[in-house]
Amino acid sequence: MAVENLAFLIPVLPALAFVLTFFLGKKLPNGGSIIPITAIAISFVISLLITLKLLANPEEVVSQSYSWFAMLNIGILVDPLAAVMLTMVTFASLLIHIYSTGYMSHDKAPSRYFAETALFTASMLGLILSDNILQLFICWELVGVCSYLLIGFWFEKPSAATAAKKAFLTTRIGDVMFLTGIIVLFADLYKMFNGTIPDGVFILRFDEIFAHIPEIAAINSTILGMEVSHITLITLLFFGGAVGKSGQFPLHVWLPDAMEGPTTVSALIHAATMVTAGVYLVARTFPMFIAAPDSLMVVAYVGAFTALFAGTMGIVMNDLKRVLAYSTVSQLGYMMLGLGVGAAVGAEAVGISIFHLVNHAFFKALLFLCAGSVIHAVGTHDMRQLGGVAKVMPITAATMIIASLALTGMGIPGTSIGTSGFFSKDAIIESAYLFGESTGTWLPYLFSIAAALLTSLYIFRLVFMTFYGKPRTDYGGHESPASMTIPLSIFALLALIFGGLTAEKFNTFVSETFVNNFVHVDIHELATLGGYHLVEHAGHEPLLVLWMPLIVALAGLVIAYLVYGLKIVNMDSLVSRNNPIYKLLYNRYYQNSIFTNFVSVKVIYEGFAFAGRAVDRGFDWTVKWFSDLAIESGESLRQFQTGAVQNYATAVITGVSLLVILVKVVMEVL
Amino acid sequence: MIPVALYLAVAAVIFSIGLYGLMTQRSGIRILMCVELMLNAANLNLVAFSSYHDDLTGQVFALFSIALAACEAAIGFAILMALYRMKDTISLDHINILRW
Repeated sequence: MAVENLAFLIPVLPALAFVLTFFLGKKLPNGGSIIPITAIAISFVISLLITLKLLANPEEVVSQSYSWFAMLNIGILVDPLAAVMLTMVTFASLLIHIYSTGYMSHDKAPSRYFAETALFTASMLGLILSDNILQLFICWELVGVCSYLLIGFWFEKPSAATAAKKAFLTTRIGDVMFLTGIIVLFADLYKMFNGTIPDGVFILRFDEIFAHIPEIAAINSTILGMEVSHITLITLLFFGGAVGKSGQFPLHVWLPDAMEGPTTVSALIHAATMVTAGVYLVARTFPMFIAAPDSLMVVAYVGAFTALFAGTMGIVMNDLKRVLAYSTVSQLGYMMLGLGVGAAVGAEAVGISIFHLVNHAFFKALLFLCAGSVIHAVGTHDMRQLGGVAKVMPITAATMIIASLALTGMGIPGTSIGTSGFFSKDAIIESAYLFGESTGTWLPYLFSIAAALLTSLYIFRLVFMTFYGKPRTDYGGHESPASMTIPLSIFALLALIFGGLTAEKFNTFVSETFVNNFVHVDIHELATLGGYHLVEHAGHEPLLVLWMPLIVALAGLVIAYLVYGLKIVNMDSLVSRNNPIYKLLYNRYYQNSIFTNFVSVKVIYEGFAFAGRAVDRGFDWTVKWFSDLAIESGESLRQFQTGAVQNYATAVITGVSLLVILVKVVMEVL
Repeated sequence: MIPVALYLAVAAVIFSIGLYGLMTQRSGIRILMCVELMLNAANLNLVAFSSYHDDLTGQVFALFSIALAACEAAIGFAILMALYRMKDTISLDHINILRW
């Protein structure tokens, strides 16, 4: 039996695991963690086998479609892009599940945890496998729900419940935009068929969408006085969804708060998988983006700005997990930038962005799991109370340092020696340089370089504050159990070597996504449509450009070492509430205050209150008018009801007399 | 023979007197008397037509009607007596104890 025929099992097995764990988990040891672990392990094996098969022949993608209703279908599509995502997600999910067995051992409801993470894994895999945009959207919402459930896993804590709500509502803004985009797309495609769609044509399937890109691009609408091509409109709406899901500026506010959930959830959902769904969406619909004038520029700018913006906040946070959360936002910005530079490098952008996505999944999951290991052993995640943890937890510390090196992208340019992050991050920064050369806008490149410096600064600050020096408080602690350290070691190994092993093959493999037996698009032709000039990535960049990321990363390391390792430079005067810049960063640019206190409370809450009052008054007035009418008419009508029988008798007699006269007159006339 | 129209005219006059009294008077006894007048106007009609048609049914009917009127008057006066004892008046304007 060919392994392709088992592809549908990849999301189905974790979904079954969800049901089984949900109902039987309580009766099994460790909350029944063995069920999802087995299911995801099988999914991983299937994904890996399919990926290997695709590597041999990237054109033969797995595509199975079934009619759902009318012109819509459900189906699976495993092309190179989906295959690497599937393998990464199943792998990361598997290791994190194994790790969770140790991490959640003291929790009250481990079976609920494992059921929810299994459901999440199933939804995420369904999202990746979707061969049409509607199914993708359904799974997109499902992962959102799982994220909500898992952030609020300890829902008895008010902060966790609030964070879950915030995450759900913030991403909803993006989701509404995404859905609007789908609706516009559907309407355009439906019009193209004049309402009669032949059997077997599923208009929201990616191949069908991509085949109609030039026609969609030809449709124009006037929005706010500007002539906008529908392809730009749709892609920007999709990107809006990605901004919400992937925590890009300005909708990133939910991601740091999402750290209220268990650390394993942060590792699985808010570092490795769900937050990358936005990047995956843009990568999946990349042919549309490259055909849309201005869309890729927006993607590049938002991505680069997010990378820098989140980095500035990362350097002042004192909470272990929050530093990592801002780091995630920053790295997601890099991935978006990687896609945005497709304006210059074409389909290769998908390759480098997804490469960074996969590498990031490994080292960021590792960072979170290390943080989880520390929190599990020590019981606090305030870095100011930690210090010298390396002595107590050598394995955790070693893996943490490897992850940090991978995050900062340490490696020697021009050779294939380096950590995973080196290959992908530098590729993005170099492409940003090409983007600058090609479009003449250098801001994304400058932002990405500045963000690289900040990345190095905040992560080594974290390392030095947590793992070195003298313990600041008496926290005790011990090395974590094997179920936790083994996943750490595996992740660490991958963070170290995955990039180097696959750098050559990965880009070409993933970039071939859009040329196969399912979809076949000419990226160059589409780029002409979008008005982008593609350049060949020939490696002709100046030497300084190649070395720049390493230089700034080392600079960040040195600064962090001087300040937090050797404590030669005293930062106390800078790190205080009196320093306006520190205050601004520490308060997260007051964005939280603006969003919560101004937008939510003043604008939305007050606005709804005002509208509510107006509507209320309207209803009140109408109801009162009717009641007044009834009362007043009753008031005047009751004058007739004297209660004196004689009056009634008079009325009756008058009436009868009139009737008699009337009859008489009528008879006479007739 | 007196034409039937005259009987009817007399009956109409008596009926109208009764009706007028019913509408204008406030005293319970007067109203009862007016009701009796109207009833008997009707009886007069019955008897007149009975005689005119040579059919005794109408006269028998009139007897029944008179008997019923007697009963009605007896009950009516009894109620008024009871009310007078209770309220010292038989003006119907003041007898409204069953009204809300």
